[in-house]
Amino acid sequence: MSPWELAKLDFAAFEARGRAQRRRGMWTAFAFMSPALLLVCGLLLYPVFFNVWISFTKWKKFKGLDEWGGLRQYERLMSNPNFETALSNTFIWVIVSLILPVVLGLFIAMMVRGQRMEETAKSIFFLPRVLAPTAVGVLWFYVYSPDGVLNSVLSLFSAEPVSIGFLYDDGTVTWSIIVAYLWQTVGLAMVLLLLGLAAVPRDPLEAASVDGATRAQCFWHITMPLILPTILVVVILSVLAGFTVFDHIWVMAKDYPGKRTLSLTVYMYVEAFEKSSWAFASAIAVVLGAVVLSVTWLQVTLQNRIERLMK
Amino acid sequence: MAVDLTTLDLDAMAKVAARGERQSRPVFALMAFLSLLWLAPFYFLAVSIMKSPEEYAQKHPLALPDGILPVFANVAESWTVAKMGFGMFNSLLYGTVGASAAVLIATMAAHGLARFDFRGRTLWFMLIFAGTVFPFQMYLIPLFFSYLKFGLLDTRLGMIIFYTAICIPFPVLVMRTYLSQMSREMDEAARMDGCSEWRLFWSIVLPNCRGPFVALFLLQFTWIWNDLIFSTVLTQSAEIRSVMTTLQVFQGAYGDVSQTVTIAASLVASLPTVILFFALRKHFMQGLQVSAK
Repeated sequence: MSPWELAKLDFAAFEARGRAQRRRGMWTAFAFMSPALLLVCGLLLYPVFFNVWISFTKWKKFKGLDEWGGLRQYERLMSNPNFETALSNTFIWVIVSLILPVVLGLFIAMMVRGQRMEETAKSIFFLPRVLAPTAVGVLWFYVYSPDGVLNSVLSLFSAEPVSIGFLYDDGTVTWSIIVAYLWQTVGLAMVLLLLGLAAVPRDPLEAASVDGATRAQCFWHITMPLILPTILVVVILSVLAGFTVFDHIWVMAKDYPGKRTLSLTVYMYVEAFEKSSWAFASAIAVVLGAVVLSVTWLQVTLQNRIERLMK
Repeated sequence: MAVDLTTLDLDAMAKVAARGERQSRPVFALMAFLSLLWLAPFYFLAVSIMKSPEEYAQKHPLALPDGILPVFANVAESWTVAKMGFGMFNSLLYGTVGASAAVLIATMAAHGLARFDFRGRTLWFMLIFAGTVFPFQMYLIPLFFSYLKFGLLDTRLGMIIFYTAICIPFPVLVMRTYLSQMSREMDEAARMDGCSEWRLFWSIVLPNCRGPFVALFLLQFTWIWNDLIFSTVLTQSAEIRSVMTTLQVFQGAYGDVSQTVTIAASLVASLPTVILFFALRKHFMQGLQVSAK
């Protein structure tokens, strides 16, 4: 194109056309996004805001939705011993989820990695994950029942028949459910960690062992730092799951009298749908939401920092 | 016997020997023990569903059954008495329609977010993604009363709408990344040729997302199938309940009467996802990798 031809081109018109196109593009984009926006806002985000609002009312048994209660429900929560128990049990779940899936998963992963049995072991430990949480709860409910498998196995090792009510006793109920829960979830942690381990290069490990580093040194100084991002993903996934465990507890503790104190999730459900204390239950949900959001925020911050460290 | 040394694959032998060396006996023993421990509940499941209720009551829980015939009676009873048939049908409906609608809507949204230029794209994405960061307990009460008000409570339509909505945000995250890596030149080329925006999406973009589409569908289908809490809150009658609620209600009501039937029901309830998992392991593992990122 020669210079005088170029001069004849109307740049302003070009730009205007570009802008119009972009604007039309924006509307097209919104047309594509509208079903998602509509459904997400209407069925997910609106309930969350409504829930926060309910927690500031005095709504109970179809009365008091229009009465402003301020922080009343939160004060009631703080002074309620059931809330305290539910909160501390939730923290047991969280601390267990913080440590055990990653430790057990890493242990098994390190043991089977590169061995002939790796594929078999992977399938075996992952298998419980394929069952539904509700089905796992039903199955383990019978494992733990007073005349169930576990008691009959324990009876073999003692003089008289053992009949422990694992799911009825204050001291054992949470830990019994945690064991069933770990049985189901450790496999996922293991598979994810094996994926992370597969990405660790062999050369530095071989170089280190040639230089006389012990296995433990190799693990702590080479493997660990390299799989740290995977470990972080596993830890965060399990911690968030630990805060929100519901199905396993709900199914397995169905006959436990203090069921509602077993976790914040169950406590909220019982207060709302069995006692109709809507405002009070909303406040529990808000507390749970605040904790979960802070953990998510921590995850984003940590991940960004680790990514920056890696670069 | 003379051995022709040249036919021996020495390299392969060395490899086998080296592998054997790495596999120490205590490690193998420990892992074998752990594996058996992990499989023990499955053994209990297998022997229990093969016993008739009388046999189950008399024998040691871990004893082998007399035959496998009672398994049919147990499954049949879980189908009729526990109404697992209804539950299975409903969950199949919710899972198929909900998950496919959700992934389709999410792909549309991701197409809008990743393949058009406009201001505030990240903000709109965050708005959609915000749908999954809250714990489910925050949805329950408002949903229950909104559904009550609009007559959606205890209806199949209500269940499908909700499952569709809750399965949208995560696929949007995955599809947005996927679509923003896909070349945009073909969009321009198609537009030049007078292709409409919808046809561009439907016949060019969508067929190119088949891989992640299937993986995401399986992930969301499994989620819907396994869901207990929303179905418990949003349904009341046995005809509308999902399979997991049916199972849970059955265990609560009759569990102590016939454990073999309840255990059979729990296996029946898990069967579709188990079969899907084994048939489509590759896609599931893809989904797993996707969800870990």
